[in-house]
Amino acid sequence: MQHVANLTELRGRADEIAIEVEALSHVYVGPDGGVPALLDISMSVGKGRFVVIVGPSGCGKTSLLMMLAGLRRQSEGTILCHGRPIAEPDPQRVGVIFQEASLFPWLSTLDNIEFPLSLRGTPREERRRRSQAMLSLVSLEGFGERYPHELSGGMKQRVSIARGLVQDPPVLLMDEPFAALDEQTRMTMGHELLRIWSTTKKTVVFVTHSLTEAVYLADEVMVMSARPGRLIDHIEVTLPRPRTYEMMATEVFGQLRDRIWQQIRKTA
Amino acid sequence: MRWPAPATVRWMTLVVLLISWEVVPLTGLLPELFLPSLSKTLTVLWIDRHIYFEALLVTLYEVAASMLIACGLGILVGALVGGLAVLRNLLLPIFSSLYAVPIVILYPIFTAWFGIGSSSKIAFAGIYGFFPVMLSTAAGIRTIDPQFILAARSMGATLPQQITRVIIPASVPTVFAGLRLGGALTIIGVVVSEMLTASAGIGYLVTLNRTILDSPRVFAAILAILVLSIAYYMLARSLESRMVVWQSAGRQQKASSGAIPAAIPASAAA
Repeated sequence: MQHVANLTELRGRADEIAIEVEALSHVYVGPDGGVPALLDISMSVGKGRFVVIVGPSGCGKTSLLMMLAGLRRQSEGTILCHGRPIAEPDPQRVGVIFQEASLFPWLSTLDNIEFPLSLRGTPREERRRRSQAMLSLVSLEGFGERYPHELSGGMKQRVSIARGLVQDPPVLLMDEPFAALDEQTRMTMGHELLRIWSTTKKTVVFVTHSLTEAVYLADEVMVMSARPGRLIDHIEVTLPRPRTYEMMATEVFGQLRDRIWQQIRKTA
Repeated sequence: MRWPAPATVRWMTLVVLLISWEVVPLTGLLPELFLPSLSKTLTVLWIDRHIYFEALLVTLYEVAASMLIACGLGILVGALVGGLAVLRNLLLPIFSSLYAVPIVILYPIFTAWFGIGSSSKIAFAGIYGFFPVMLSTAAGIRTIDPQFILAARSMGATLPQQITRVIIPASVPTVFAGLRLGGALTIIGVVVSEMLTASAGIGYLVTLNRTILDSPRVFAAILAILVLSIAYYMLARSLESRMVVWQSAGRQQKASSGAIPAAIPASAAA
């Protein structure tokens, strides 16, 4: 149980912690009794950190993220986000970006980005101003009047990121946001995400099953076991920032990647 | 050699049909009882224009009223059945199997209940058109991508907001397809019921003139019905494409994928 030791040294002062998960477990109630999905997960994410959760398929990493977002209730344990429990979706504190861009096809790009603001009745002018700002943050100026079907997969995810950021939540949760993209687009988008992250100073929790993506993006990588999902390793990625594509060829990168793979393989 | 455009072929076909309608009876190949010529049909239509116009008004009124019933009830019941699992499991199998029943066999009962006036036509055609509207509304709501709802919830949408801002717009295309079909069925329902038992309406004129073997007047009535249904179809189509811009645009874009200009910033092209 290596992670326990690793985590204790990270637990600094409470105001530096964005997300604190304490003894979280989850059991799915199926037709033939309960199936344990997540087991005794404790972790904390420092403010402004980029944390990536990796694990084999079906380990419950998406479930964990949905619980952090308040979209699903855990069976046991607590989740604190900026000191307060998360019981239901709170877009002021947490923005969520899904695997499918899940943009509304009947709304233009700008209207999609504004959607969370319009739910809260923000005046139209302010909405336009903020969505325009988000549009240029994700380098999509000039595409505001386009509809989702007119955008490529990568552009859709950019819009989705803009929508997640428009309420300026301190925390961004991302559920395999680039999984549906081709590899080249995926690399570009990862790089773009790091740029956006470094300008907005958000706390990011990013779920993926790509080891390369994990090492390339993360400050810290949390490794989960196969079902029932437990945290089995916690790795500090010491590569300097800003990250470059060349780093992928370095020895350190390879070692980190290898360490994660060994951990996952052991439990699978 | 270049093939002519499909639209040209369509119009040519129509012109050829109309010309042969005029020419074939003149040659004496078919007796007038089977096929009166186009000019003769149009002539009796003009002579009896008041009769046909009045009949058309009756039919239009019945169609409008039954569409109101079919669409209103269909959307309401469809939304309930599609949205609530309890009702869905209870009612959907019943409705789906009822849809396969030729409801026209119930028409004599409708005349017994509502008389031979407009009410029986409206009730019958209303129910006739109700099923496709109801079933497609239910399907439209049931097949909404759950990801849309999840995304809306994550952005803090309340349940009423989820319904008005996500579920309703997302189901519009499917509902519209049902409305188009349901509307067409109400026209069929009205005309058929007028032909069976009635004292007014364009369908009644068909039956009346057929019994006295007045072929030109039968064809004049058929022509009027054709115009009515084609007009309805074109209206419904244009309304649909206006309401569901994103869907029809999506289809067009697939046909000619040149919608995105080349001037995409290099970083955004990803």
